[in-house]
Amino acid sequence: MPWPLYLALKQLFPTGRRFPFFTFMSGLGVAVGVALLHVATSIMGGFGHEIRRMIVDTQGEIQVVSRANIQNPAEIMAQVRAIEGVAGVTPVVRGVVMVMHRNVPAYPMIQGVDLATVGEVFHLQRYLVRGSLDDLDDDSVILSTKLAIELGASVGSQLEVYTPLIIDRMGRDEVLLPRVVRVAGLLQIGHDQLDRSTIITTLRTMQELYGSGDSVQALNVRLAPGVDEFEMVRKINPVLPWEMRAQTWFETNADFQSIVKFEKYMVFFLLTFIVIVAALSIMSSLLISVVRKTREIGLVGALGARGLHVAVCFCTQGFVLGLVGTGLGLALGQAVLHFRADIVRVVAGLTVGEDVFQQFYQFVDLPSHTLASDVVIIAIGSVLASTLAGVLPAWRAARLKPVEALRHE
Amino acid sequence: MSEPILQARALVKTYPSGDRRIEVLRGVDFAVGAGESVSIRGESGCGKSTLLHLLAGLDTPDTGDLLWDGEPRVTPERRARFLGMVFQAYYLIPELDARQNVLMAARIAGRLDAAARARAEDLLRRVGLAERAHHLPAHLSGGERQRVALARALVNRPRIILADEPTGNLDEATGNAVMDLLLDLCAQEQVALVLVTHNKEHAARTARQATLHLGKLQIP
Repeated sequence: MPWPLYLALKQLFPTGRRFPFFTFMSGLGVAVGVALLHVATSIMGGFGHEIRRMIVDTQGEIQVVSRANIQNPAEIMAQVRAIEGVAGVTPVVRGVVMVMHRNVPAYPMIQGVDLATVGEVFHLQRYLVRGSLDDLDDDSVILSTKLAIELGASVGSQLEVYTPLIIDRMGRDEVLLPRVVRVAGLLQIGHDQLDRSTIITTLRTMQELYGSGDSVQALNVRLAPGVDEFEMVRKINPVLPWEMRAQTWFETNADFQSIVKFEKYMVFFLLTFIVIVAALSIMSSLLISVVRKTREIGLVGALGARGLHVAVCFCTQGFVLGLVGTGLGLALGQAVLHFRADIVRVVAGLTVGEDVFQQFYQFVDLPSHTLASDVVIIAIGSVLASTLAGVLPAWRAARLKPVEALRHE
Repeated sequence: MSEPILQARALVKTYPSGDRRIEVLRGVDFAVGAGESVSIRGESGCGKSTLLHLLAGLDTPDTGDLLWDGEPRVTPERRARFLGMVFQAYYLIPELDARQNVLMAARIAGRLDAAARARAEDLLRRVGLAERAHHLPAHLSGGERQRVALARALVNRPRIILADEPTGNLDEATGNAVMDLLLDLCAQEQVALVLVTHNKEHAARTARQATLHLGKLQIP
């Protein structure tokens, strides 16, 4: 082992000392910064990942949209389904309605699904917490859980559904009565906003409620596992009529995804300053070390060391402190992520309460998704910052003349 | 005197003091032969340590020449192998134990191998510290620390030892013991010795005694 590296390691982990206090304290700053960065990027990544999961789980990876309603959905579905890599296609109609239960109103988003094909794309049964998909028919709906609580409804309750079509007919002096439907099941997706405002019904019921005949708004497409969605968009688009277009889930929700990504970068940017402060504290520790070890610097000069070797010794200390701090920080961050649910429960309980927390962040559980690339960037960045923090002390140490260093009092 | 292994010719060294310069060494000529021992005495502040640092190549003279083994090339790499130094304050690295401190000189000289390790063990045994080889400097007495420093100075088999007040921090008995060891080891290893000291008795034990006075070296 080259002697500058050996001496650097010995100064950080001295012989005969079980706990290297100086090294631990110097690395602690980096560890805290790295842990915060790791946790923050994982949580922000978790939001993005959960949103993607919910979108893809409920809508498929690709949507076929049209300038106007799709009048011949069966024909288009057959064409899309024939493309290799497509695992399923289902039509969808969505809209806003007013529902009332015992004079309690709500204005949720209602979605009509084709019972014959919805299972190819949306595993509705997986999200049902009460009732059964088999009970869903043209006179029933599935309510999201929090909407059901808001309305005071449960499985078997009767709801009145008012649609924009009623207002349209009133303009023509026609009276259209609200549709009475039964609650066939309760749905919980795990996203607070969706769980507060979602109703599922059959496609036929939805078409009747909106008076859209046999047309649908869009087709949701599920891909076979491992198939690239962007590649598939390029394959699907040529078979579609000119007024239709296939787009990935990412394009459909581009604004939202951009915001999540922007927030992640902002958090990353702001927390990077913690690592910089930690690196500055390493610089300060090493500068003190240069003063404290001036005579030893003189000694190694007298033993035949060059200034460059002395500089390498101090830079190595910055590098090792960064390495130790980064390792500790990643471990600490991983531990925080592992126990995040308990930590959030305690923090939320002490402050705003769990319900407010869920309402604000939309998720029942705090999500986490760690990207290997994020960890690599954090690790390289913090080790690099710590190594650079050793450059100034190293330069000062290298400039010391042995003869002056030996005379240092 | 045999062929000099270390030779200084007309060394001049001045230091700034306000708007003038103080001439510490005024043309010093000095030579040491292989295996020879020379002591340098003089009043405090007369320039003994300055001369030793110049001889070690740690400082540069204003004018004059320095030759190691007849060559004017004075580099840190040559210093690591050509000479060993012993200081008044020992200068052991506190994070390393006695054996590691001795081997540090071999590491820096690029000579750390099995032979160097064996030599370090041997030297520690010869200075009476075989049992304390794994003790940190903080757990050694002053005399023991200086003995570690002696072993460190010799580990690379240098041609010459430059010792700057090696007993200055020790009591009389310990200082005498260290001096005995230094002279014995130099004799056994056939290493030349330049000893800077205040102690007349220690100086008298070297083959030649020089005195530095008013920037000039007087060698009887």
